[in-house]
Amino acid sequence: MIRRKRMMEDLDQDIRDHLEMETQDNIERGMSPEEARYAALRKFGNVTRVKEETREVWTFVWLEQLFQDVRFGLRMLRKSPGFTAVAVLTLALGIGANTAIFSIVNSVLLRPLAYREAQQLYLVREIIPELSRTYPSLPANLPNFRVWQRECHSFAEVAIVMSTGAMLTGYGEAEDINGGLASANLFDVLGIMPELGRTFLPQEDTPGKDHVVMLTNSFWRDRFQGDPKIVGRSITLDHQPFQVVGILPASFRFPKGDQFSASTGFPLRADYFKPLGLDPAQFSPLGEFDYAAIARLKPETSARQALAELDVIQARIAKDAKQGLGLRAEIIPLESAVVGTARRGLLLLLAGVGAVLLIVCLNLANLLLVRAPGRLREAGIRTALGASRARLARQLVTESALLAILGGVLGIGLAYFGLRWLVAVAPANLPRMDEVHVDARVLWFTVFISMLTGILFGALPAWRVAHAEPQQALKAGAVTITEGRPARRLRESLIGFEVGVGTLLLIVAGLLTTSMVRLLGVDKGFSTEHVLAANITLPPWSYTKFAQKQEFYENVLARVRALPGVKSAGWISRLPLQGEEKVDNIYVAGQLTPSSQASVANYRYVSPGYFESMGILLRRGRLIEPADRDRNVALISESVAKKVWPGENPLGKQFYPGSDEKTLAEVIGVVADIRTVALDEPPLMMVYLPIGCARPWSGSYSSLVVRAAVAPSALASAVRGAIQSVDSGVPIRHLEPMSEIVSESVGVRRFQMGLASLFAIFALLLAALGIYGVVGYSVARRRQELGIRMALGAQGSALRTLILLHGMSPVVVGWASGVLAALVAGRVIRGLLFGVSAQDPLTIASVTFVVLVTAALACYIPARRAMKVDPMVALRYE
Amino acid sequence: MSTREQRERIELLQGTLDLLILRTLRLGPAHGHAIAKAIEFRSDDVLQVEQGSLYPALHRLIKRGWISVQDGTSENNRRAKFYRLTARGRRQLDVETSKWQKLAGAIARILKPAEQGGES
Repeated sequence: MIRRKRMMEDLDQDIRDHLEMETQDNIERGMSPEEARYAALRKFGNVTRVKEETREVWTFVWLEQLFQDVRFGLRMLRKSPGFTAVAVLTLALGIGANTAIFSIVNSVLLRPLAYREAQQLYLVREIIPELSRTYPSLPANLPNFRVWQRECHSFAEVAIVMSTGAMLTGYGEAEDINGGLASANLFDVLGIMPELGRTFLPQEDTPGKDHVVMLTNSFWRDRFQGDPKIVGRSITLDHQPFQVVGILPASFRFPKGDQFSASTGFPLRADYFKPLGLDPAQFSPLGEFDYAAIARLKPETSARQALAELDVIQARIAKDAKQGLGLRAEIIPLESAVVGTARRGLLLLLAGVGAVLLIVCLNLANLLLVRAPGRLREAGIRTALGASRARLARQLVTESALLAILGGVLGIGLAYFGLRWLVAVAPANLPRMDEVHVDARVLWFTVFISMLTGILFGALPAWRVAHAEPQQALKAGAVTITEGRPARRLRESLIGFEVGVGTLLLIVAGLLTTSMVRLLGVDKGFSTEHVLAANITLPPWSYTKFAQKQEFYENVLARVRALPGVKSAGWISRLPLQGEEKVDNIYVAGQLTPSSQASVANYRYVSPGYFESMGILLRRGRLIEPADRDRNVALISESVAKKVWPGENPLGKQFYPGSDEKTLAEVIGVVADIRTVALDEPPLMMVYLPIGCARPWSGSYSSLVVRAAVAPSALASAVRGAIQSVDSGVPIRHLEPMSEIVSESVGVRRFQMGLASLFAIFALLLAALGIYGVVGYSVARRRQELGIRMALGAQGSALRTLILLHGMSPVVVGWASGVLAALVAGRVIRGLLFGVSAQDPLTIASVTFVVLVTAALACYIPARRAMKVDPMVALRYE
Repeated sequence: MSTREQRERIELLQGTLDLLILRTLRLGPAHGHAIAKAIEFRSDDVLQVEQGSLYPALHRLIKRGWISVQDGTSENNRRAKFYRLTARGRRQLDVETSKWQKLAGAIARILKPAEQGGES
């Protein structure tokens, strides 16, 4: 820039010198001084143009023109603040929403798991073909894992992990902490280096040497204030010393909740990891499928090869077990196992939010087109003065790019807050939400979509204006230029498109909402009204004997039942919708080997009072009574009765409740089926055993269910007091109405439904704004024509109808195509629906109603305004 | 200027002005007016150079590093800007000259038979 300035100053001097020399030459040739000077100038040519051309040598012309365009664009935007505000705001909302949703998609679906070469990691699950109707696949089992470790050459390494928990004492307040019980090589398989200390050693897998733990970074910071000296020291878990050998890095994440499978449900927050220290000899090869097995495949091995090898090993294991059951395996890329079903929902949301941005673009294109005739005059003048079409178009596109950039900048701000809000309201079991943040890829995405939107909504109007005929534009004044049919068609088809996309979004959102309503209204088999539930864990050191635990449970029941407002109360080992617990066969007496119809049931341990409190109906026989507490009796659900004793009276039948059981249980009653693990999954077969029976159940955790005569939350503190009055050392985890638990179980759906509805409503409002703008504009244009019609005696109502019909015709076309698109798209979203067909007529009818009424309203307001016009004023209006 | 005179003058081809400037400066540094005069003189006034168009061309050559500029004193003892060929400019001149000769030769070969055809 400095050089350019100096060169230009030199140039002036140079040209002056040149002209003087030439003049001098001419004088010498005999011209008069004046004549000589003119001749010199003539010979030199246009001084200004020479300077201009020379300056161009030293500058980027396009850059200067760009500055010009930007300055001019900003001036134009300032001149119409209303339009600018609407444009920037809708763009910011559109771009912001897209950025926020893309951040989630980016973190959950696009970014690889934070493990070394994560694409080589696979989750291994086992398949027992005989059970595959109820359980398509199962988590891994410990002895089989040992076999794979020894024999499967496709695996570079394989590790297993299951959830565990312990009570931390001796360091401030006692705390229930959660974590993983892992084979010593877990962190090697994942490729995680400790931040401090070391990971587990191979020998720490064996019983007796396993009293070591690794702490997660967040737990270490929260609980031990990030003290590095804790490494090497002992902490007390369940009254036993464990040496802290290492601290995991802050970047370490572990799949949570049911992302691996219901029966290895991991805590939402892992605090520590401990080596297995279990003896494989204690476990049977075809039971206890409790572990998540994570394998790292050798780089040269394909998943298919690995599976083939594994299936051979599995077949041999099954043969050796001689239980008449088959055994296969399945391997799933760890990433898809973690993300699971969240993928489809997220992609749907991304598509939805993209559609919203599309509508924003269409809307702005329309608003710009509406403004175009005003700009035509300006464009006409500029064309007449010699501006090229390309130059004109570039200037207009610069204007829309400016809008897009402003919208984008504001949008990033909105996205930042929107994202924080989304992460806060997202259900806890949506995978990887704790990893969500805005990274470079997200910012590039925003830049990209901002530019794209700028071009998208700017190109069409720019083209229109740039191709205007200057003569026509300059004739008579822009206002009276008749709007060509093509221009109107263009705007109407944009409106149609907007309405179509909006209708599609509304139908999808409507279907998701209907699904949600159906889901919450589904016959759960239990009732949630007036029911309060609490999860407790008994500290293992103070409750060492089974009888102590029984005593605690009975004492609590007695105290809670005595509370005013309590109708009934009971215990169950695990609440509905909170995962599975013991899953095992029902071995009917007399047929010791389970046949292929062997029925796998969910087992729960219950106290008297549970069924009354949960509102589960008794179908036959009787419920568990206090006298049954240690009798070998059982209640079964209706589906068990149907499946195991079809056509027979199940009462009095006997069976072994599980493969390890030596004593028979007698069926004393049949209760209603319930939705066991999720509202959208059909009821599972249930077997209920008395809480006091001497079955292999630790009894150290349980859930109290209380039916109240009043609102359940009003009883919460009284119930808490009653539990603590029995033993104040027993931690109460959740104490909440059962309706909350049901509501949490559908959190992911609610999240999807909420966002989809938000986007759909936004889309509808945008479309309405577009319709309003277009109809309002055409009414304004036709004021003169309408005035003439009125002056000639046309009825106001007739004119109103005319305008409404004109306004509504593209809406109807758009609506129809939106419905058609929804019918086609139905196939894609079917998997996200529950209890409603993708072509649900009621949903489509309601959406139709909403769309048409909104559109009619958007047409009616400007139409009514037109009718208030005094014909004389309208005729004079120019 | 008479019309006859104008008809005999030839408009410069795009880019040839650069070549002429480089060729002129090969004889030694010169100021703008002198360059214009030299081109006119050496082409027997056939080439019509609007003197002004010399300056954008000079600046283009400076930017490319083919010529440099410095202050000097003109023949009638006036201060003036002197343009001088750089080493790079000298090389460029060789390249451009041979290119030009090739082009001129090729065009001459194309035009020649046509003239003969017209005569016969």
